[in-house]
Amino acid sequence: MKDFSVINKRLPRVDAWSKVTGEARYAADLSMPNMLYAVLFQSPLAHAKILNIDTSAAKKIVGVKDIVTYKEAGTIRYGVSPARYDETMFCYDKVRYVGDEIAAVAAIDFETAMEAASLIKVDYEELPFYLNVFDAIKEGAVPIHDDYPNNIGAEVHQEFGNVEDAFKECDYIRTDRFVNKKQDGGFLEPQACLAYYDMNGNLTLYTSTQTPHYVQRTVSMVLNIPIGKVRVVKPYVGGGFGPKASANTIELAASLLSMRTGRPVKMVMNREQVFMHSRGRHQFYHELTTGVKKDGTIHALKNTCYLDGGAYSSFGIATVYYAGSLLGAPYRLPNMKYDGYRVYTNKPACGAQRGHGGVAARAAWEQQLDIIAGELGIDPIEFRLKNVREKGEVTCNDFNLSSFGMKECLEAIRDRSDWKNKKGKLPKGKGIGVACGFFVSGAGYPIYRSETFHSTAMIKLSEDGGTVELYTAAAEIGQGSDTVLTMMAAEALGVRYEDVKIYSGDTDFGVDLGAYSSRQTLMSGHAVKQAAEDVKRQVLEVLSKRLNIPVEDMDIKDGYIVFKKGPVDFSGIRSYYIKEHRGWAEQPSDDRLTFKEAARIAYIERGTIVSTGAYKPGELGGKYKGATVGTSPAYGCSAQIVEVTVDMETGKVTVDKMTDAHDCGFAINRTNVEGQMQGSLSMGLGEALFEEVKFDEKGRVANPTFGEYRIPTALDMPNVNTIIIESDEPNGPFGAKEVGEGAIMPTIPAILNAIYDAVGVRIDELPVTSERLYNAIKEKERKK
Amino acid sequence: MKRLINLIVNNKAYEIAVAPNRTLTQILREDLNLLGTKEGCGIGDCGACTVILNGRPVNSCLVLAVQANGCNIQTIEGVADGNNLHPIQEAFVEYGAIQCGFCTPGMVLSAKSLLEKNPKPTEMEIREAISGNLCRCTGYQKIVEAIQAASKKMKKK
Amino acid sequence: MLLLPRFDYEEPKDLSEACKILAGLKGNGKIIAGGTDLLVNMKKGLVSPSCLVSIGRIPGLSEIEPQNSSIFIGSNLIVAKLTEFALIRKRYPMLYEAASVLGSPLIRNRATIGGNIVTARPAADLPPPLIAMGAKIKLKNKRGEREIELEKFFKGPGETIIKQDEILTGIILDEPPMFSGGSYIKLGHRKALEIAIVAVASFITLDKPDGIIVDAKVILSSVAPKAIHAVSAEKTLIGEKPTNKLIEKAANLASGDCTPIDDIRGSAEYRCAMVEVLTKRTLTAALKQAKKSR
Ligand SMILES: Cc1cc2nc3c(=O)[nH]c(=O)nc-3n(C[C@H](O)[C@H](O)[C@H](O)COP(=O)(O)OP(=O)(O)OC[C@H]3O[C@@H](n4cnc5c(N)ncnc54)[C@H](O)[C@@H]3O)c2cc1C
Ligand code: FES
Ligand code: FES
Repeated sequence: MKDFSVINKRLPRVDAWSKVTGEARYAADLSMPNMLYAVLFQSPLAHAKILNIDTSAAKKIVGVKDIVTYKEAGTIRYGVSPARYDETMFCYDKVRYVGDEIAAVAAIDFETAMEAASLIKVDYEELPFYLNVFDAIKEGAVPIHDDYPNNIGAEVHQEFGNVEDAFKECDYIRTDRFVNKKQDGGFLEPQACLAYYDMNGNLTLYTSTQTPHYVQRTVSMVLNIPIGKVRVVKPYVGGGFGPKASANTIELAASLLSMRTGRPVKMVMNREQVFMHSRGRHQFYHELTTGVKKDGTIHALKNTCYLDGGAYSSFGIATVYYAGSLLGAPYRLPNMKYDGYRVYTNKPACGAQRGHGGVAARAAWEQQLDIIAGELGIDPIEFRLKNVREKGEVTCNDFNLSSFGMKECLEAIRDRSDWKNKKGKLPKGKGIGVACGFFVSGAGYPIYRSETFHSTAMIKLSEDGGTVELYTAAAEIGQGSDTVLTMMAAEALGVRYEDVKIYSGDTDFGVDLGAYSSRQTLMSGHAVKQAAEDVKRQVLEVLSKRLNIPVEDMDIKDGYIVFKKGPVDFSGIRSYYIKEHRGWAEQPSDDRLTFKEAARIAYIERGTIVSTGAYKPGELGGKYKGATVGTSPAYGCSAQIVEVTVDMETGKVTVDKMTDAHDCGFAINRTNVEGQMQGSLSMGLGEALFEEVKFDEKGRVANPTFGEYRIPTALDMPNVNTIIIESDEPNGPFGAKEVGEGAIMPTIPAILNAIYDAVGVRIDELPVTSERLYNAIKEKERKK
Repeated sequence: MKRLINLIVNNKAYEIAVAPNRTLTQILREDLNLLGTKEGCGIGDCGACTVILNGRPVNSCLVLAVQANGCNIQTIEGVADGNNLHPIQEAFVEYGAIQCGFCTPGMVLSAKSLLEKNPKPTEMEIREAISGNLCRCTGYQKIVEAIQAASKKMKKK
Repeated sequence: MLLLPRFDYEEPKDLSEACKILAGLKGNGKIIAGGTDLLVNMKKGLVSPSCLVSIGRIPGLSEIEPQNSSIFIGSNLIVAKLTEFALIRKRYPMLYEAASVLGSPLIRNRATIGGNIVTARPAADLPPPLIAMGAKIKLKNKRGEREIELEKFFKGPGETIIKQDEILTGIILDEPPMFSGGSYIKLGHRKALEIAIVAVASFITLDKPDGIIVDAKVILSSVAPKAIHAVSAEKTLIGEKPTNKLIEKAANLASGDCTPIDDIRGSAEYRCAMVEVLTKRTLTAALKQAKKSR
């Protein structure tokens, strides 16, 4: 193990003090003098033509400053992927789900804006609406978007190897179906923003987002403002998990209203609006057919999936690819076929959520593999160990597993959970289950076609030499990117953690595609590391000249200059520095030359010391259609064992224990890695047991509250035996790769497999509510 | 019709005129600029708005400001002693109990009231005490560990 | 952000002033206690009273007063206190159990026992044990005061026999008889912040520790418009010697005594099945207690 000073440690987060004292400011905490408050007017119907919008009564309310509809906003289409720009700021021809945005009202306070919004009148002509994938694709269904007459917004057909032939070579083949439910991000901070278009024609948008860069582009395009005049600033963000990874209507509306009124405009969603805006996990209907050989070799997989996409595409094109492409990868699977269909329905749009596209598929398949292992009489861990890939292998769809500690993950959880003495041996009602996970470490390509760098970074040394200022547009949303980027900068430059000051989440600081697809540690990390190394070089160059020592004979570590070939006389620099700081309390007195002194000299010599770094992935595999979704510079993997207790009479599942191992390449901050793992597991537990966005017969969200949409409480989530595996990723900075999303992958199937071990039933529909499990147990008893 | 109310917030006395339909969350955030109190749902489901009201942690989104007239309130801003963090806050920082931080103020306050009543809680008692404070980021484990550590630290003092 | 509609606010200093204000409001006002039901409903736009009358400053409404062979629980007592008073835990463990699973610690610090009763949610946690133990309540208005049995109070979801100008002042619970025991179990999805899918409160009294059942109350919650008696289960139990078989029979009958509906929390069928399970479990626990009690 290399000797690191900063990284691989358990340092506190850079923002911990602000957050723990309540000082941290989130978007809803911001205000400006003369600010207006705006609210949305949203559709009460799931699908209808708009015949007329009447805002006259609303305009008459004292205190209302502006009301905008499509007439004022225009109808420029936007979305996530340019190939599917299917949204406009406000609806103009029709509404497509309950909550679709029709107008926004700006007033002197929220109360006035709400009152005015309630007076907007819209005449509709109701259209048939579809709350289910299979209704939406029926012959004769009314298209939700005219461009997609059969309501299939995106379709994928991929085959690697030859599945039909491969099945002929299999000894055992089985088909299973699986369905999850629409899941909500469940982040605690509702979206909020504050937009200010100033008299100089510059728009500044403070917003709760994961992707300042994409928001900047969308605002610029939709409002037709030069991109250089749009600055998106991300304050502290109270979680995102995917749904905050693209521009939303309040960002656009607040910007438009500010342009029109010349005043700052603030908008805040309430919890119900968060549920209506959604962009959370799709509902996936998977049918999987897997063929294996007698000895347990996995040989072929056929995967068909229908995705309930909701009214707009959002991230959906990527989702429909991910639901196929990620599945086979952790195993030596030579033949894989995938047919995916993303269907429009009259529900809130689904998008990316932690484990984008892959969570339901993984749950379905890992459960099926468990069944298969059982049928073959092979221990499920042995079965997996037999099939898992290792470092250096390339999957049938061309993913290059440049590092891959899956085997180590499986062995670690097996050895640390007493698996051998528990599997199949626990009393009835208690069970243990295992599953694996896999995820990309950064999307290989931006969401729009471009050669752009994915991350840039800039470092400036403060002119006094004492502080390293790191500028990045990367988005800290709670996952800890500010902390790990600061640590990487400190390590690469050779200074202490506390010497680096990070400024992030601001589009004026550069380009960073943002916090999604588990990309920032790897990609922003590379850019930061590069910039830091360049600063180091610059400082050493100046020293080299001053001291007449080759750069190679020096280094910087822990804030000091290291002279590799023995002591060097730097008294000239020292006395210069001391002269400059006559009267100051702190003067360097050490017998070592400090970085501060060296950096000061570098400034005196060269002016402000600035460096930049930029990263984009190198050549990635895959020349087939859709290879841009799933290929990544690196892949994370994980394995998990879950122990449950099932109340046989009520069907209630309690998760007692979780043992989780994740290969994150190299842990920049060990505490943060564990935090990502534990948080992922808790979200997985919620999706497995409780979470489901429900709709009433009119298409309204039936449970738009945290009371009826249940995320786990502290009493539902057990402690996790958290094991970090480090496989040293060659394509990652310091060997690091993802942990933020991949960690959720094994949780659901491990719970399902544990439930089977406990009560002998297989559940193919989430969430496993007490009632669902009770019914399955009864069904099984009846069949006996 | 606004009413004049008196509040003691973080040991400071305030006299404020408030409309009856404004919640304690609103008054703290909008009138007193104590923005550490968050609103995640507005209806008691999440605990982001937790404050300590006369010694008990409550959802301030479900308290009318007028109901709090004459009460003693502690918000997250009143937990640290100047620049010195409270041992619970220190432990939250050290143990990684914070991610996005949106639940953190409420968590700290729930933990603080717990440890004031029960200085040596069991893990279950800790989990029970924070069960009205949702956290989507951490999975709670590091929060529980931090509270355990704070309990030990505070006992020593 | 969720805003509350506008309203006036009154804060009477004593009961008679409160009664006067309520009488004057002629049904346009509402009492606010903890506000954990009312304010949620107002924020959701389900109700918008023109005036809220706080009972928070009325002396005597927030206390527990032990009396000779009963206790009086002031209606404005917060649920947390039900979990804190040793007397409740010791003498009325079933009430303690129900109080400690209501909402969350934060909610319990505001929610009152009176509010939990008057709000009349079919799934409210405190009425089932209170009914099972034969609680009486006191209602007061300008003209006087009446005392009625709690179980006669409820009509349906959100509906009770309370008059617009009446205040629930408190709950009276007799000391439980010798050799009695009770248990309350709530089935929810999560372990906190849960409204019951089904809940059952059972209370039984024996004539002597290993004697016969002289009284039995099985109250089912969340399976009808209001908490109901499992009438046939109770009948079956009374006069019999408690055995596992008897309990199973009663539990089975209980599931026939209810008329649940399908809703967002569970299906009618599942609820009926769970009534049986929870009745069995609560009766078993109640019996164990009864055998031990004094
Ligand atoms: C997040 C959350 C979780 C919850 N979980 C549960 C739960 O698990 N179990 C459960 O049972 N409930 C639960 N509730 C509901 C609520 O907390 C309880 O019903 C509580 O006991 C209501 O009491 P309160 O004092 O807050 O009532 P309030 O909201 O003040 O009043 C409720 C109603 O009763 C009337 N009222 C109150 N007091 C009197 C009185 N003395 N005389 C006449 N009328 C009166 C009011 O006018 C109003 O109509 C939950 C609520 C929330 C917000
Ligand atoms: S904001 Fe008060 S509980 Fe959620
Ligand atoms: S740290 Fe984000 S909700 Fe708790």
